[in-house]
Amino acid sequence: MTFEDRHLAEKAARGDVEAFARLVRDHSGLVYRLATRMLGTDDAQDASQEVWIRVWRNIGKFRGDSAFSTWLYKITMNTCLSTRRRDQAREAREFSDELPYMPPVSNVEDDPESAALAGERREELFRALELVRAEHRAALVLRHMEGLSYAEVAQILDVPDGTAKGWVSRGRAALLVALSEESRKDSPR
Amino acid sequence: MIGSNRWEVLERIGTYAASELSPQEARQVEQLILEDPEALRLTESYLRIIALLGAVGQETPEMPQSVIDYAIRRAMISAFFRQAEDFFAGIGRAYGGAFVYYLGLKLPDSARQSI
Repeated sequence: MTFEDRHLAEKAARGDVEAFARLVRDHSGLVYRLATRMLGTDDAQDASQEVWIRVWRNIGKFRGDSAFSTWLYKITMNTCLSTRRRDQAREAREFSDELPYMPPVSNVEDDPESAALAGERREELFRALELVRAEHRAALVLRHMEGLSYAEVAQILDVPDGTAKGWVSRGRAALLVALSEESRKDSPR
Repeated sequence: MIGSNRWEVLERIGTYAASELSPQEARQVEQLILEDPEALRLTESYLRIIALLGAVGQETPEMPQSVIDYAIRRAMISAFFRQAEDFFAGIGRAYGGAFVYYLGLKLPDSARQSI
């Protein structure tokens, strides 16, 4: 797959639209999935289009030093981060006096897949992710949703490994705080 | 117990829940969990979040076909203009060369070598 991607990228760089179309079809899932996780469904389509325009313009710069998917992750993340920065500067989450706590979902707490499918909790998660600083959210999404190693996260975000680890850790904590606030808002007083 | 350095402790428990601490650091956090019910609650919350993130991560939303079509269409238009640009630039160069030759401004090769 990697060799084929490289070959297609070389052809696309020479102006072969058919090769580019193959790359779009093969990797559109990755781009859209990542954009949805970073920006939510509403902005994911526009961001995905922007990503593929950037890929077409810059495909000549892809040297094949890394996998095509890593290069694509990088472009997608940069596009999403610039979209989010443009939208608004997020406030840093503060740790209030009350300890954050995420209550279990009734009946399905021992089954994470069922819990994820419980629409309400899923919506809560995405609303809470919105409140996490863009860079921390990016690191969190790459690590815990995409399942990438810290080395890969660091490469995609163009930061040292230690920074990537710090961002994931801060992202997790900020997400917990945001989720516990969401749960508190939703629960009857 | 979790009073000072609250954010630091919060992050450390998160790292523990993600199984990313060294064995020695993990033992310290386990000790804290044993001593402090708040730390235990935090760990449980983190485990739920990590499971939720992982489960949502398994979902594969399909890119709408319209986005794929748009990207390919844009590339086609761009490639067309690139080719047109090359074509007209080529014609321009050829006509320019011919015009220079016609005006007699182009030096013969032998004269150019002697300069």
